[in-house]
Amino acid sequence: MKKVVFINIFILILATSLIKNSTKEIEDKIFTVNESIRSLKSELGDVLLEYNYLSSPDKLTQYQTQFFEKNLIKIDITKIKKLTEKDTHIEIGDFVEKKKDE
Amino acid sequence: MSDKKNNFFLEEYENEFSYKKNKTNLNIEFNRIAFIFFIFLAISIIYSIQLLHLGSLKKVANIIKPLIPKKNYRADIIDRNGNYLVKTVSSIDIGINPIEAIDKKKLLINLQLIFPNKNYKEISKKIKKNKYFYFEKKITANNYEKIMMLGDKSIKSEERLTRIYPQKNLFSHIIGQIDDDNNGISGLEKSFDEELKQIKEPLKLTVDTDIQFLIREELIKFHSVFKSKGSTAILMNVNNGEIISMVSYPDFDLNTRETISDINFINRATKGVYELGSVFKTFTIAAGLEEGLIETDTEFLNLEKKLKCGKNIISEYDKKIPSDLTVEQILIRSGNIGAVRIGQKLEINKLKLFLEKIGVLSKIDFDIEEVGEPIPFKWGKCKLATVSFGHGITTTPLQLAKGYAIIANGGFEIKPSLIKKTLEDNQNQKRIIKEGVSKKINEILRKIVTTKEGTAGLANIKGYEVGGKTGTAEKAIVGGYTRKAKVNTFASIFPTSNPKYVMVVLLDEPKTSEDYIYKYKNKSGSYKGTPFNTAGWTSVEVAGKIIQRIGPILATKYIEN
Repeated sequence: MKKVVFINIFILILATSLIKNSTKEIEDKIFTVNESIRSLKSELGDVLLEYNYLSSPDKLTQYQTQFFEKNLIKIDITKIKKLTEKDTHIEIGDFVEKKKDE
Repeated sequence: MSDKKNNFFLEEYENEFSYKKNKTNLNIEFNRIAFIFFIFLAISIIYSIQLLHLGSLKKVANIIKPLIPKKNYRADIIDRNGNYLVKTVSSIDIGINPIEAIDKKKLLINLQLIFPNKNYKEISKKIKKNKYFYFEKKITANNYEKIMMLGDKSIKSEERLTRIYPQKNLFSHIIGQIDDDNNGISGLEKSFDEELKQIKEPLKLTVDTDIQFLIREELIKFHSVFKSKGSTAILMNVNNGEIISMVSYPDFDLNTRETISDINFINRATKGVYELGSVFKTFTIAAGLEEGLIETDTEFLNLEKKLKCGKNIISEYDKKIPSDLTVEQILIRSGNIGAVRIGQKLEINKLKLFLEKIGVLSKIDFDIEEVGEPIPFKWGKCKLATVSFGHGITTTPLQLAKGYAIIANGGFEIKPSLIKKTLEDNQNQKRIIKEGVSKKINEILRKIVTTKEGTAGLANIKGYEVGGKTGTAEKAIVGGYTRKAKVNTFASIFPTSNPKYVMVVLLDEPKTSEDYIYKYKNKSGSYKGTPFNTAGWTSVEVAGKIIQRIGPILATKYIEN
């Protein structure tokens, strides 16, 4: 009986240390991955900043006048159409409903 | 006899004990030692595993250093679409301490090879002075590697955190400035100072960069057309109070870190306190409808052309206004005397209570600290009369936008905000105005834009169902008002059938333009030159142009909202 108890305790202690060890290993990996993500996030942030600056409306307008001859046009919302997918066909309708007072 | 019995019992006990011992075939002393040894073994195994683990942890920690130094750190700020409005970036400055240089000539030659375009006469002088100086600020990664490869002890690198504003002037009043000690001194940088120093994720705002840009561009354009002192525009979602755009012009570039002392650079949208004129008539009529004292078709007959109240004379701005008007016509034609009559019907308490309810009378609780306080005044008979048509009462454009939003959204309380909140935060809205008032007012506001008698025909942009009310107010000077300086305002809502947005455009001291060509919206043709310095010919035109440009974005981009 005592032998069984001893062996069980021994197995439990050993199993606990092994599991704990493997958990720590996983934690290490998570830590490393998190740190890598953080550095990647920081890099992504810098790239995004550059992108935001270069694609800012101010810059785009500047490029437009610099590289294109034609001016940008305003979209008349009443000319925008809405496509609705039906079972057999696509229906084309106005994006905004025309009101009586317009 | 009894002694014999005792002896027998002891013997029997001894025998039993030795029998059991033999049966287990184990020595108790050996067991104890084995058990203790086993415990020690187990502890040493656990301890060695822990030691191994800690060793491995230290190794990882050494490789990857924390990327965000705590000193001078501030979180980034992004717009509603995730575009950076402010970003903290780390940069390296290179300094030289000439005392530590082994061979100054060799150092100069090496530096010349890496940075050929620098003025080396100046640098040579600085080296001779033997005092520490900055050689290159915000060095590139490539040059940093090259310069550090020189291995000279005199070359020192300093890591710094810099706040970058990629949108330059676009959000200057909203974001605000920080001082050299990394403390916010204005705008969100000040009011969210502690949060920005602590949070890791960027602070997300409700503003849209593209819309802000387009609105600012129109304000700048009309700033030169109408030669105004300044202008402001606020675009807000009427249902949740999210501010999509808030521009105050003139503004400043946050990257230059200038000290702004000129009062003309104030945030007119929140800090500017103005008498806004007829835009207040909407509130007077809404209050009358709320109290059930009037209906939109209630008639006011034999309205005077002039009213005397104390020293002041109240008159109509348009002499063609008929003497008999319905409530609807009073708002459409912007009748002063009619508005006074409605105000008198309401009496002081009811009008005051309504204005308090929609939040135009007291200082607003907002996300930035630069907020103006409406000038307090004493209510009386004359004050009631002037307040009814928007004179003798002041408020900020932001509070005006809030008031119009509440009236347009069905009467629900909203809190204007620049910080993006979750959907749950925007729920649980409290009704503060009776159901039905909103619909009646929205219909009249639409008629102000669509009908010939209305004062805002220039804002009738196809497809957006714009409605709104104009307000032209003379600026107060000591002892009265001046006709030379006006504040022209247009408070608009769109689409009026189911309002989503409120937009307030205010021009501070605009002048008439002789060359500007107006294109009529309600009929064909155009008109050259500004005939009157009124909101209908200035701020309404600006609002119309803005809606024309931002409308397609609002209609398509925010279709789900």
